[in-house]
Amino acid sequence: MDEEPERAKRWEGGYERTWEVLKEDESGSLKATVEDILFQSKRKRVIENHGQVRLGMMRHLYVLIDCSRSMEDQDLKPNRLASTLKLMEAFVDEYFDQNPISQVGIITTKNKRAEKLTDLAGNPKKHIAALKKAVDTLCVGEPSLYNSLNLAIQTLKHMPGHTSREILIILSSLTTCDPASIYELIKTLKSLKVRVSVIGLSAEVRVCTVLTRETGGSYHVILDESHFRELLMLHVKPPPASSSSECSLIRMGFPQHTIASLTDQGAKPSFSMSHLDNSSGPGLSLEGYFCPQCHAKYTELPVECKVCGLTLVLAPHLARSFHHLFPLQAFTESSVEELQEDRFCQACQGELKDKIIFTCPSCRSVFCVECDLFIHDSLHCCPCCIHSQSTS
Amino acid sequence: MASLSEEVLLVVKKVRQRKQDGTLYLMAERIAWGPEGKDRFTVSHLYADIRCQKISPDGKAKIQLQLILHTGESTTFHFSNESSALKDRDAAKELLQQLLPKFKKKANKELEEKNRMLQEDPVLFQLYKDLVVSQVISADEFWANRLGDMNNSDPTPYNNKQDVGISGAFLADIRPQTDGCNGLRYNLTADIIESIFRTYPAVKQKYGENVPHNLTEKEFWTRFFQSHYFHRDRINTGTQDIFSECAKQDEKGLKSMVVQGVKNPLVDLLSLEDKTLDEGYGVSTTTPSTSNANRTVKESSNAAIIKRFNHHKVPFFFSSETSSTDGNSRDSDFFQPPVKKVRLQEAIEYEDLQRENRLKTVALNLKKSDRYAHGPVPLQSQHYTTSQDIINSVNHIRHEMVNYKPNLTQVLSSTAASSAITALSPGGVLMMTGTQQAINQMIPTEVQGELKHLYAAAGELLRHFWSCFPVNSPFLEEKVMKMKTNLERFQMTKLCPFQEKIQRQYLSTNLTGHLEEMLQTAYSKFHVWQTRRMLRKT
Repeated sequence: MDEEPERAKRWEGGYERTWEVLKEDESGSLKATVEDILFQSKRKRVIENHGQVRLGMMRHLYVLIDCSRSMEDQDLKPNRLASTLKLMEAFVDEYFDQNPISQVGIITTKNKRAEKLTDLAGNPKKHIAALKKAVDTLCVGEPSLYNSLNLAIQTLKHMPGHTSREILIILSSLTTCDPASIYELIKTLKSLKVRVSVIGLSAEVRVCTVLTRETGGSYHVILDESHFRELLMLHVKPPPASSSSECSLIRMGFPQHTIASLTDQGAKPSFSMSHLDNSSGPGLSLEGYFCPQCHAKYTELPVECKVCGLTLVLAPHLARSFHHLFPLQAFTESSVEELQEDRFCQACQGELKDKIIFTCPSCRSVFCVECDLFIHDSLHCCPCCIHSQSTS
Repeated sequence: MASLSEEVLLVVKKVRQRKQDGTLYLMAERIAWGPEGKDRFTVSHLYADIRCQKISPDGKAKIQLQLILHTGESTTFHFSNESSALKDRDAAKELLQQLLPKFKKKANKELEEKNRMLQEDPVLFQLYKDLVVSQVISADEFWANRLGDMNNSDPTPYNNKQDVGISGAFLADIRPQTDGCNGLRYNLTADIIESIFRTYPAVKQKYGENVPHNLTEKEFWTRFFQSHYFHRDRINTGTQDIFSECAKQDEKGLKSMVVQGVKNPLVDLLSLEDKTLDEGYGVSTTTPSTSNANRTVKESSNAAIIKRFNHHKVPFFFSSETSSTDGNSRDSDFFQPPVKKVRLQEAIEYEDLQRENRLKTVALNLKKSDRYAHGPVPLQSQHYTTSQDIINSVNHIRHEMVNYKPNLTQVLSSTAASSAITALSPGGVLMMTGTQQAINQMIPTEVQGELKHLYAAAGELLRHFWSCFPVNSPFLEEKVMKMKTNLERFQMTKLCPFQEKIQRQYLSTNLTGHLEEMLQTAYSKFHVWQTRRMLRKT
């Protein structure tokens, strides 16, 4: 038949050019269906999340990175470890952007042991520096889920009850070497209310399924690098709070930025408490944020005061999470045929080529698929609604 | 005087000290001597204080034991019992020999730890110099505060104490390399050796017995890898092999475990052979022959492999006995009562195929959500106007706006305008952010360095001060008062001299102003707390 030589060519082509993302084939190639599934799940997430749900915004997250022999595999370029660490840098940046009052720590595991790369801290610079250095580590041995989870628990169990305790595991090996029963540890995790999620780089592993199911986390396995990035960014959003987390008042300080000049009487140059040990930081300066309780000075916020332990934030840091309190509604989906006017997207002004279009329920403006995703993931507000509000 | 709860390990009568007769007592934590007839001890030393002990040489007439303390002092005991002096002295010496190392290690370890910490962290060292050497706080307090923090966040000791599992492939990972002349090189690391010992406890026993008396370590491992015990055959030929006993031991162990059985009602280990019901319902076996001669070579090697496989699996199969679950390691059973019914249920259902349960979320309950759009507004008394008034005022304004003509010369007075321009031009009052560089150059770097040290020391003291609040225990009350006196002492001994020094250098900027402010804030907090406490008491 005619089709057979064509099919053979397509099959061969599939092997030769596996790095090309989309292939325009209509005959049900597996790639197209997988892409479709991914897209549907994205849409489902947008639709589901528009309700007002209580979220845990003060998060203590430990990221466990597998550094075992399987991370030297080159299916992600240049090898799994380098690719993971690069994506982690982007993750840390995004994380602190979306969750300014949270903390992150990194643990690595190899050779049946676990090691802390960085402690739980709220400053992204330290983590990014450590991740950059970690590219040179030798990947050897087997990872140990038990030891690394234990190491994370040692710190997480001391965290206050109103914060969310999370662990994210990036596991590429299909085995784990543990000194004791991991099911006991899963019980402990449940009792400590720690939520564990896993991103697998090779395949689904049964113990991870049980781990995430029992603790209430999510388990995904990556398809390729862009999917990996997407799955990582899923964890940037604060997770819904479980009903058992306590609610309490949290004490925070809101210092004001003070500037003074040398000619003022009583100008007092001072050092920032966070820059005392490194000589490369700014030296004596006249401006900064002074802690309202103990009057210590800091140059950057948010920070936990080293002297009195008060969390110091600025109001915009908290306002950044407002879009979780007032989420944007999901836009109504419709077919492009129904549109009578000119077919162009209000946001990007491009022609509407897809079959599906989205309409904002309040201002009735029309958006294409890409813009809809962008509006819901990053902008959190309809551009036309804002525009119309300011001119009215 | 000895407390009643002290455990007395040895009592030696007729021991003289300083020409007085008495009795020597060795207790759990100290050694003491009391004169004859009296109730109290005149000499008492903790084992931790004793550096070493000495005995008089064997030929001497006097049989003595001398204790030398860390401080350099020494105490001598003369054993004067005619018949058993030597025995007594030796008994005391041996007991001391056992006890002293236990206490010695503790003292040394702490000092070592402290030294290490000081050497590793130059900031800590500087802090130590500033605070302890200049006697602002005592060394004990410094270490009490430091070690208290360290014990909470303990990172390094944890790494040393991590339990490590046994990798499933550890034997395969040994990967012998050929060394060119028909030999094999095995590379053994500490991890692999430990795994071998844990998997084959019989080998560990043999190691303990033979090394280093009979064989060197290298020879032991060479023999191990050569022995049939290690290889697949496991034919127990040749009793010269030290490992042949290990195989017999293992088999015995295996049999006993199998007889014990497993708690799983669906598994019966004792009836694993094929049974027939009738022709066509399974394999029909002839009566098993009892002579081993009939067994083919293939069968025996199969049996060897099966035996080896069972030996490998047995620890896993029976290990869950210790964690009080059933032998079959199905994970979902762990979280449900292990009953036969549940087991059968699980054999039928497969939860992966079921619908995913959504995590129950808690709905957010926002009251007065429009308050989030703007900040909190203070309540004021409202002045109500009627709608007609509003319409009238809107019309009035609209009318005015139609006739509006701008008059730009009357907008702002010239003085106001020129002062605004000067404030916003470079160098003006509102543009002073560029002067940071200027300060750093005006003040010499040694002064800045010293100031940094002062900041670090003050920060440490203030941190301990603020950690005492809220004060809700007598320990914290004491601590807060102590810290306040420490702060005052710090201000007097370190801050004031520094201030005078910089004044003498004609630096006009107030460098210590900020530090003083921080200390002042701490003092006022203390003062407030104190007054509140007084009020509560009266």
